[in-house]
Amino acid sequence: MEKMSRVSTIGGRTVFCHLDAPANAISVCRDATQVVVAGRNIFKIYGLEEDGFVERLNLRVGRKPSLNFSCADVMWHQMEENLLATAATNGAVVTWNLARPCRNKQEQLFTEHKRTVNKVCFHPTEVNMLLSGSQDGFMKCFDLRKKESVSTFSGQSESVRDVQFSIKDYFTFAASFENGNVQLWDIRRPDRYERMFTAHTGPVFCCDWHPEDRGWLATGGRDKMVKVWDMSTNCVKEIYCVQTIASVARVKWRPERRYHLATCSMMVDHNIYVWDVRRPFIPFATFEEHKDVTTGIVWRHQHDPYYLLSGSKDSTLYQHMFKDASRPIDRANPEGLCFGLFGDLAFAAKESLMSGELVIELQKTNNHKQPDFLKDESQFQESTTWTMLRIMFSEPANPSLSSNHNLNKSGNLPLVNSFSMKEMSTALNERNKENRQDNLHSLETNLNNNDENEETEGSEGQAEYLFGDAELDDDDLYSMEHDNQAAEEPEYLLPQEAFPLRHEIMDHPSAPEPVQEKPESPHVSGSEAESTCLTSMESFSLISVSQLLFSPHLPPKFFCPIVKKMLCYYAKQGDVQMAVSVLIVLGKRIRKEIDELTQEHWYMSYIDLLQRFELWNVSNEVIKLSTCGAIMCLNQASTTLHINCSNCKRPMSNKGWICDRCHQCASVCAVCHHVVKGLFVWCQGCSHGGHLEHVMEWLKQSKHCPAGCGHLCEYT
Amino acid sequence: MFVARSIAADHKDLIHDVSYDFHGRRMATCSSDQSMKVWDKGGNAEWNCTASWKTHSGSVWRVTWAHPEFGQVLASCSFDRTAIVWEEIVGESNDKQRGQSHWIKRTTLVDSRTSVTDVKFAPKHMGLMLTTCSADGVVRIYEAPDVMNLSQWSLQHEISSKLSCSCISWNPSSSRAHAPMIAVGSDDSNVTYGGKVQIYEYNEVTRKYAKAETLMTVTDAVHDIAFAPNLGRSFHVLAIATKDVRIFKLVPLRKDSSSSAPTKFEVQVLAQFDSHNSQVWRVSWNITSTLLASSGDDGCVRLWKANYMDNWKCTGILKGDGSPVSGQPGATNLCKNVPNKQLLHSKHTKT
Repeated sequence: MEKMSRVSTIGGRTVFCHLDAPANAISVCRDATQVVVAGRNIFKIYGLEEDGFVERLNLRVGRKPSLNFSCADVMWHQMEENLLATAATNGAVVTWNLARPCRNKQEQLFTEHKRTVNKVCFHPTEVNMLLSGSQDGFMKCFDLRKKESVSTFSGQSESVRDVQFSIKDYFTFAASFENGNVQLWDIRRPDRYERMFTAHTGPVFCCDWHPEDRGWLATGGRDKMVKVWDMSTNCVKEIYCVQTIASVARVKWRPERRYHLATCSMMVDHNIYVWDVRRPFIPFATFEEHKDVTTGIVWRHQHDPYYLLSGSKDSTLYQHMFKDASRPIDRANPEGLCFGLFGDLAFAAKESLMSGELVIELQKTNNHKQPDFLKDESQFQESTTWTMLRIMFSEPANPSLSSNHNLNKSGNLPLVNSFSMKEMSTALNERNKENRQDNLHSLETNLNNNDENEETEGSEGQAEYLFGDAELDDDDLYSMEHDNQAAEEPEYLLPQEAFPLRHEIMDHPSAPEPVQEKPESPHVSGSEAESTCLTSMESFSLISVSQLLFSPHLPPKFFCPIVKKMLCYYAKQGDVQMAVSVLIVLGKRIRKEIDELTQEHWYMSYIDLLQRFELWNVSNEVIKLSTCGAIMCLNQASTTLHINCSNCKRPMSNKGWICDRCHQCASVCAVCHHVVKGLFVWCQGCSHGGHLEHVMEWLKQSKHCPAGCGHLCEYT
Repeated sequence: MFVARSIAADHKDLIHDVSYDFHGRRMATCSSDQSMKVWDKGGNAEWNCTASWKTHSGSVWRVTWAHPEFGQVLASCSFDRTAIVWEEIVGESNDKQRGQSHWIKRTTLVDSRTSVTDVKFAPKHMGLMLTTCSADGVVRIYEAPDVMNLSQWSLQHEISSKLSCSCISWNPSSSRAHAPMIAVGSDDSNVTYGGKVQIYEYNEVTRKYAKAETLMTVTDAVHDIAFAPNLGRSFHVLAIATKDVRIFKLVPLRKDSSSSAPTKFEVQVLAQFDSHNSQVWRVSWNITSTLLASSGDDGCVRLWKANYMDNWKCTGILKGDGSPVSGQPGATNLCKNVPNKQLLHSKHTKT
């Protein structure tokens, strides 16, 4: 009780004072009223007052201070309040008595160690017992009433970095060594250690006994770890391990907090961390005041967890108040969130903080998250845009405009017509990995059908299909592509893609057909195709209206500003697909209206988007169709292929596909033994390969090379 | 409808970041347990952990993917003051059979003297560049002069923002009309230090990054910042996670190309939502920049969408605590508190 009341009377805040020289170690007297700071060039006692540190006493006296003053460590006796011990860098162990009347307070001098003494430690209950550990590998126990050490302990290991008397076991002390070992000794048995274990890889710089748990020892090492060992059992057990970011120079258990300990580092890191050993990854609290390496830390009072004192190489002495510490955990981001390409949303959330198990929740946001009418609306908007464009740029003087829908066949966009249909559809076709001739045929016939209706519709359909409102369709797009690749449905024809849009236009008040269903209805029957032709009534009516609005003799140029405005509008909405599609379709009609830089920007964005979705063929088509110099050269770079003959492994000269040496065709399909034209895939290990679909087919049955070379092929 | 699927990530402490790769087929997570995991999408859309390894000696704050043109490359940054570039190597075949891939450390960037809080690759068109920002307020831009050699990075620029940085975002625009631009957010909570979002722009004449704009209205700690995918726009849209969600529009004003002064911007606030009622930790745009997702201390993910009038509205709230979900295999419908009735009309639920 008396102890506690004394604690509460000491207030304080985060304060510091400048020292004259860097500190190596600090120690505090039992009642927390004074602190001693020791270093190579400093040995002073400061009083702790309400509003800061006050220098009380300078122990470095004499004109030429001896090396005995150059301290590596210092300890204030916890029972005898006038008694101090220091470890000198020259190997001396010195005791100081503040009660001495003269200026020189030095009491005893032990010069038994041959090298630097790293640590001194008073026994917690035995007044006259002092322990030292030195670089020379020996530990010595001194009785302060005698002139010499009473016993010497040889660790038989390397240098001793730390020695600590056990708080609860009268006879026990722990020593930590440069080679990673920790030894337990009984002071009555100097001949050999009681116990030894390897605690760290590399030096163990420090150790500290838990103030309450007699069995717990914390050790810190150069391997950046703090480990807590349970020594109470027969077999020493590591119960906690804290990974810090720099080598651990000091470790001190926090008073009154069973699981907390403070650490500081001897290089790189200047901060003091307080860890909760149960949460070994994030510091519980951090003190960030020091500008150089912290060399000594000590809790101000052995029953007060709120104040920590520290000395540093930056020549300051700090009193840290726990309330002022920064809490990294509060600043750490507890959540992760990321949008995927296909509308997936990954969200990493904390479950329960200490349980350790954390779960990521992947929320696949489905394609229909937008209300249906909106989707309709946006599609309707786009199809209307295309219709308007057709009206604006088609043959103005065609009298049969409103009555005969074949106008476009003789429209004034023959070039655009052929390009938009053929090129784009090829792109589309390729995208579905359907390079087959018959497919192309049916494609073209279907496209011709389309021609009769509308020349731009085809590209529109495709455009819509790609990214209409990408957020909505991305998912579909992806799944569909995959379905195709997986199922390898050869019947899958373009028309299905080209037509559904028209369904949507036709019955836009109702919900659009889900795109996923398309692959499931593999054929568009002729009647269906017909019906789609017929259902272009919508466009009819629009056209007839526009006939009334505009004079048929307006030149297409007249509309350019409007179209430009429209394109900019789409670009502003982020619908770069629409902007690029119109650019491509209208070609030189609109090109001059929009500055090169903007066009290039649109193309680049669109190509990037296509490539994200791995639509390489489409993106290449777009590059080919673009008119910007900067874009067109995109697929001109690094187009050289160096080929070796798959038979004799020699480089092929660039004269066709027959190898000069072995006189065989190098690109024979290993499955069907025909020359491969088009997509040729080969194993980079054995260089055998063939038609993509043949090899894929083969790999379903066997992992070995179809050429019979015995190689386990890897296609990456 | 939203279909949620829980993945037991098995990280031993908080997950700080999750990131999809360019094609959306892979995912990386990083955690305070000092490890990173890479997840690959399997055949039926489940995610398999294909790599898990200890990366840093401190909490790993962020992870980010490089453009696949540079290979399978990840960068991570940590409390241990380093940023690391990782590359996946095509491993031994027995590795592959176990479904594991191998990531090796290509370089460690050790210039920072404090915690590195964010790491981002620059847009692809700028080459292979990496940016880090640290708690002491320094933004560093590194470049790999040889894209084939990921172990060599040279520090090109050091920008001192004077405020503790928490997040960075590159302007993804590839237009030649837009100079390289980077937005930096600070989590300094002292309101009197002024704007917490600074925008730096590369100046061709001086060959340096210079401050172009400070969003003075954002005075609270900023935890995340994200430019929307540009998609051919002439202006920039920036989402900010602070004590609320904010969306800014930055319209570059015309300037003559010869002048060395940074571009002036007309800054408009498009939206500001405090419906998380707490700190917002993350914002993320979808690929077409039509949807913004935000997550906050309330444990919810909210989705925001603009209508044709450019009015931003909440279109969905997802409960993210997941505690009852984690035990159950398979999909669970997490759609709750949906403000817009229309959402419930959707017909399809895909798994």
